[in-house]
Amino acid sequence: MTLSYVPDGALAHRLDPRSKLLVQVAFAVVAYAYTTPRGLAVLTLVAAGCLALAGGGPRDLWAYRFALPFLLVAPLVAGATVGDPWFDVDDAAATGLASYRVLLILVVAAAYVRSTPVRESRAAVQRTVPGKPGQFLGVGVALVFRFLPLLKRDLLSAREAMRARGGGERPVRERMRIVAVAGINRAFGRADRLGTALVARCFAWNPTLPRLAFRRVDLPALALAAAMLAAAVLRVA
Amino acid sequence: MATNTESVDLVGDEAATNLARAALFAALVGAFAYVSFPFPLSPAPVTLQVLGVFLAGIFLGPLWGGLALALYLLAGALGAPVFAGGSAGFAALVGDSAGYLWSYPIAAALVGGIVHRGLALRDLDAVRLPTLLAATVVGTLVIYALGVVGLVLSLDLALGEAVFQGAVVFLPAEAAKIAAAVGIVRSDAITAA
Repeated sequence: MTLSYVPDGALAHRLDPRSKLLVQVAFAVVAYAYTTPRGLAVLTLVAAGCLALAGGGPRDLWAYRFALPFLLVAPLVAGATVGDPWFDVDDAAATGLASYRVLLILVVAAAYVRSTPVRESRAAVQRTVPGKPGQFLGVGVALVFRFLPLLKRDLLSAREAMRARGGGERPVRERMRIVAVAGINRAFGRADRLGTALVARCFAWNPTLPRLAFRRVDLPALALAAAMLAAAVLRVA
Repeated sequence: MATNTESVDLVGDEAATNLARAALFAALVGAFAYVSFPFPLSPAPVTLQVLGVFLAGIFLGPLWGGLALALYLLAGALGAPVFAGGSAGFAALVGDSAGYLWSYPIAAALVGGIVHRGLALRDLDAVRLPTLLAATVVGTLVIYALGVVGLVLSLDLALGEAVFQGAVVFLPAEAAKIAAAVGIVRSDAITAA
């Protein structure tokens, strides 16, 4: 299962996407500023709170299982030394804290992904970045969400087809070439049809977007973000 | 719904196609994350994402190739499951994989700039083999240099440990991807470029 938006009436779902983005940035900043056992203990509560307010739980973190081995191995690599004492506990502990910090940032990001539909993310981008660059980014993000599952299926079926014809025996660079060529040809075909279809439907630089407005419910989130940023600045200063 | 009172500003034909291609290429790089190849010397399964970065620069050019990878990062940060292993979210851009990810748009633009010798696209048949090799090798170096810096900063590793865990073990697989990229461009297999 991959992490994605889940419709829900939870508090985080009612927040403006921009306040949620700000909370994530502030959380990352403060996590880098306070990578100490006590700091990370407090931030664990904040991260768990964010996920709970988005109606999520430990199950949502399953999507990050591929990141875990790397984060678990890193402290071991950092601690391992050639020669006596073979394992440096201080080095391993420092990297262990850093790994845990990355994990906490992942939890807060999961809360955002779970509570924010694509349309709102797109609107947040276009209202934050002015003019045509904002339009480009907004439309592009929406298209990536839309076409990712199709292209994924194209690639997997190309690989199936290659294997069915005995292509699985070929050297790895040949297999990469075969799958990539099929993927690119399909993607270009879809892109050119999409480009024509967009023009035919009066694709404009200034379409109508969902209304976004900061409301009273955003105040605690904005205050939390401001407090975390202030704490980080105090620490660094 | 918000109301716009200004008149409609249509996107031109060429810009619409370029935008569609950049967005589809960004989605393709994301889809490449799901196709892994077991590789003899590599500790983790090898995905085709870096190949996607090379090909974005080669087929879309430095400008749109770089923009495609920027879109990829933004879509991933906003929740599209496009990062390694199908993960998503802003955290990837500040976590242990941050260095690799931020290097993608830069590497795509560099590869495109070297292959096309400037911002304007030129015919890929006119690109010679040494140019292609140089472009992909430079792209690989940029990705791994920034990736290692990201590891040092985010996981508190020493430089040597980060180079070992984050670069040396992956380099044989990168050679296969460079060979694949060169093979794709030389074979005329891409019909729509």
